[in-house]
Amino acid sequence: MAAQTLAEAAVNEGNYAVAFPFFGAERRGAPVLAFTRIDSKKIFSKTQVYAPDCVVVLDDSLLDTIDVVAGLKPQGMAIINSKEKPEDIDLGKIIKTATVNATSIALEILKAPITNTAILGAFAKATGIIRIESLEESIKEKFGEKLGAKVGERNALAARTAYERTITGKSRGVKKLEARKQWLPTHQEIPVGGALIEGKTDAGLIGPGSFIENKVSGWATYRPLRDRAKCTMCLLCWFYCPEGTIHRISDRGDLMTNYDYCKGCGVCANECPVDAIKMVRARA
Amino acid sequence: MKKVITGDHAVAIGAKLCRVEVVPAFPITPQTLIIEHIADFVNDGELDAKFLTMESEHSVMSAAAAASAAGARVFTATSSQGLAFMHEMLYATAPLRLPVVMANASRTLGGPPGIWCEYNDSMGARDSGWLQLYVEDNQEALDMVIQSFRIAEDKRVLLPVMPCLDGFVLTHTVEPVDVPEQAEVDSFLLPYEPDIILDPKRPAMIGTFMPSEYIMELRRQTAGAFESAKEVIQQINSEFAQKFGRDYGGLIDTYMMEDASTALITMGTVTSTAREVVDELRQKGEKVGIIKLRFFRPFPSYELKKAVSYINALGVFDRSISYHGGGPVYNEVRSSLFGMKIPVINHLAGIGGRDVTTKQIMKMFELTQKAANGEKVSDVYWHNTRGETV
Amino acid sequence: MITIKELSDDNLFTAGHTACPGCGVAMSIRNAIRVLGKDTVIYVPASCAVVFGTTFPYGAWKVPFFHTAFENTGACLSGMQAAFEKKGKKVTAVGFAGDGGTYDIGLQSMSGAAERNDDVLYICLDNEAYMNTGIQRSGGTPFGAWTTTTPVGKVIQGNRRFKKNLGDIVAAHEIPYYATLSIGHPLDFIRKVEKAKNIRGFRFLHMFTPCIPGWKMDPAKTVEVTKRAVESGMWTLYEIENGEKRITHKPGKMKSVKDYLMMQGRFRHMSEEDIKKLQMWVCRKWNLHYKEKGAPEVCEIPQFEEHHAVTEEHREMHGP
Ligand SMILES: Cc1ncc(C[n+]2csc(CCOP(=O)(O)OP(=O)(O)O)c2C)c(N)n1
Ligand code: SF4
Ligand code: SF4
Ligand code: SF4
Ligand SMILES: [Mg+2]
Repeated sequence: MAAQTLAEAAVNEGNYAVAFPFFGAERRGAPVLAFTRIDSKKIFSKTQVYAPDCVVVLDDSLLDTIDVVAGLKPQGMAIINSKEKPEDIDLGKIIKTATVNATSIALEILKAPITNTAILGAFAKATGIIRIESLEESIKEKFGEKLGAKVGERNALAARTAYERTITGKSRGVKKLEARKQWLPTHQEIPVGGALIEGKTDAGLIGPGSFIENKVSGWATYRPLRDRAKCTMCLLCWFYCPEGTIHRISDRGDLMTNYDYCKGCGVCANECPVDAIKMVRARA
Repeated sequence: MKKVITGDHAVAIGAKLCRVEVVPAFPITPQTLIIEHIADFVNDGELDAKFLTMESEHSVMSAAAAASAAGARVFTATSSQGLAFMHEMLYATAPLRLPVVMANASRTLGGPPGIWCEYNDSMGARDSGWLQLYVEDNQEALDMVIQSFRIAEDKRVLLPVMPCLDGFVLTHTVEPVDVPEQAEVDSFLLPYEPDIILDPKRPAMIGTFMPSEYIMELRRQTAGAFESAKEVIQQINSEFAQKFGRDYGGLIDTYMMEDASTALITMGTVTSTAREVVDELRQKGEKVGIIKLRFFRPFPSYELKKAVSYINALGVFDRSISYHGGGPVYNEVRSSLFGMKIPVINHLAGIGGRDVTTKQIMKMFELTQKAANGEKVSDVYWHNTRGETV
Repeated sequence: MITIKELSDDNLFTAGHTACPGCGVAMSIRNAIRVLGKDTVIYVPASCAVVFGTTFPYGAWKVPFFHTAFENTGACLSGMQAAFEKKGKKVTAVGFAGDGGTYDIGLQSMSGAAERNDDVLYICLDNEAYMNTGIQRSGGTPFGAWTTTTPVGKVIQGNRRFKKNLGDIVAAHEIPYYATLSIGHPLDFIRKVEKAKNIRGFRFLHMFTPCIPGWKMDPAKTVEVTKRAVESGMWTLYEIENGEKRITHKPGKMKSVKDYLMMQGRFRHMSEEDIKKLQMWVCRKWNLHYKEKGAPEVCEIPQFEEHHAVTEEHREMHGP
């Protein structure tokens, strides 16, 4: 949505722009990737973007697991939704960086952690590629059309607020992020017909049950905190958790939640008959 | 044991001799006799198989794929509209490398509907990943069901195989067939023992959702299996010939090609009739021969090239149209012979089940010979078609 | 009967799968497979569950998993079961199909397997639309609901047909067991899965499975919404065993369908008139299932009288 809105704003300014998502398979809440190309003339390239001028990160928890600036051009810039200042953000290299706390702006103005309009305000401020006024126009138009003028205006306000609160500077470059390993078999190596039994590769488990390689905690905005004193061990949370990340520790008659797989849905808290579970912000 | 039986009956006996374990079925003319015979075998206790009366061909191929993935030897049969209806599932069985064998009784794929022989049904499935072969008589129909299982289940191949027999011309025609002994077939075709199946003792995931990082390699792998299949087909043909005394030549068969100067590529029962035409023309001193295209998938490019290296002109018989001007076989042959300076003439005939007569085949040779003599001829001829010249 | 406490700790559908937070389908699958156990082989047709449960080379299933297409769950189950029988294996063949894959495109294949009474367990995960392709209407979509193919337009608002009565269609095959389930009623849920597992022949479990983006709802309310569905009569919990129908959970006093609707964005646009129409439909269903009139304050509409004249409303509900 953000990528498309940006493209529309760029076109409204007389540029040519294309925007497209990376067609992933994951459902709502999973990290997603989208691209925007802007130029003064028609863009013919239909490939994904590998060396961007600018990387926009809507969720700073991704910084712990993904080298988001891996392909960024040397003069490029990173724009990050974070409460930190650029100097406190470690991207593994020192680059131009802008930050804004888009999540709190969104919660404040939109009453939901939907950050994609706010972050565009930061983009306008940090890059100057697009004027904030054009952006506001496109947002009003795009959101207004589907969700009503009010929603459009509130989203435009989110962008404007972010525009005003954006801080630019330079990131730190200390940590070393290893690219997540991926099993990429040759056609000789890929199992016949793609049939997989339980297996292990250099990049970890494959086959039945191997989804545990996929840590989904990054999806969560909130996470559950259980009050042991209140809990009656009725097991309803254990039963309902769609992720299977609440475990029984049989010998201690207790439960344990593995936050690696908690998506923060809040079902456990909602269903606990004695209100022993509270949902708290996963990342402040 | 010699029996005078229809092509459909021969196919059913072939399947029985292979001790097939699961047979999902749905009727369609002219395939119906096959599944009726198999139902008889099962209900009479002659064949210990699960016979499933499905509610559609789509379900037939779905059940076939699932049973195969669960480790069973699976056989079925279909034709025309039925093959089209299961088209989606053809594409599921092949890349998952499930060695199902399915006979196809070649028939017009409508509209307008017709029930007689044409290859537009199976030709539409030519890139689904199934091996395809075309037989010329009832004996070959029976023998090729047996060979099909050997080829399909060979670890170098592991692909589904579709033996095609001409609707009515074979399916409903009786002729003498030598039925092999069960013991002989048992020693030729051992029980199916796949590596990975659906078994709780060793859980597997088969048919997972697959992102673009992997599908290309999987396709490449399947393409490789088609290459391996060529060698396997030849090998199994020789083994079969040794054991049963019938040599079909493997990917292609040739007749009178040793000193031929003009040749015709044929498929299915037209090969059989063409043999007599060649005999007749040879008596007149004409150096003609036939190349019988047995396997259309994998396509025997190398074997064809070798077979035509000394001839002056080549005719290609096609029993369906591909709307690029000629038939699908013509297309494949021409690209296989790319770079060779042999005129290749396409002869479209027998579409919709129109009888392909000796006179027409004579004409095919005549036109091809003209090309051999350097006379001007067309690229494509529609034989015995009102409004056309031949 | 197994209680929650006695359920297995085995995670046969592991964490790390990629369903949306709060997905009712994932929740139902996880608990069904807990009861079904290891000696199970799964078929999943094209649907959300095929994608969030397996993405090569990863998978959440720890039992054998098979997938080929969308419309063939019944046939695939029949095929694999035939192979298991031929090989003398004692395995439960289980299909997890969506409502689209069952009410619509897969109806024929399901019917074939049911009519043959093949010894398989068919589970329909009813989230009331084609979710995997981004929320399009199916035969299981309720009256009034917004989907991307029944948008809330200026002239037509939401789905104009009532939810197809799949239960009767399945039951008409005279199969050994049909049951409706809701994840918000755990004991009933567990009992029915366990029962279905142990019956021979064609068994059908119809699970009511909320979808977060498709129903436009708070992910925390997945379970709550199923409870409200049952309390209002939008979903009824019953089973049909060898032709005998039995209500397995009768809610107390009927609640207005509005309570249920207002939890979900997909219904929030509904006009009072449309809500009334839907309420009528629910009251009729309530009467049919529980052999009693619904709560008078919501069912005062005279739907129990014999209608002789076919009214417009009637036509819309029952066809001409
Ligand atoms: C023959 C065919 N048509 C269409 C599709 C596209 N498709 C895949 S999943 C799906 C919707 C599935 O809906 P449902 O069965 O209700 O499952 P859900 O995703 O809602 O759980 C569709 C339309 C397909 N895969 N195959
Ligand atoms: S918030 Fe959701 S995912 Fe996390 S433990 Fe609770 S139920 Fe499970
Ligand atoms: S639902 Fe509440 S009371 Fe029950 S086990 Fe979970 S935390 Fe404890
Ligand atoms: S779209 Fe709905 S059914 Fe699909 S994974 Fe998300 S919540 Fe589950
Ligand atoms: Mg659905």
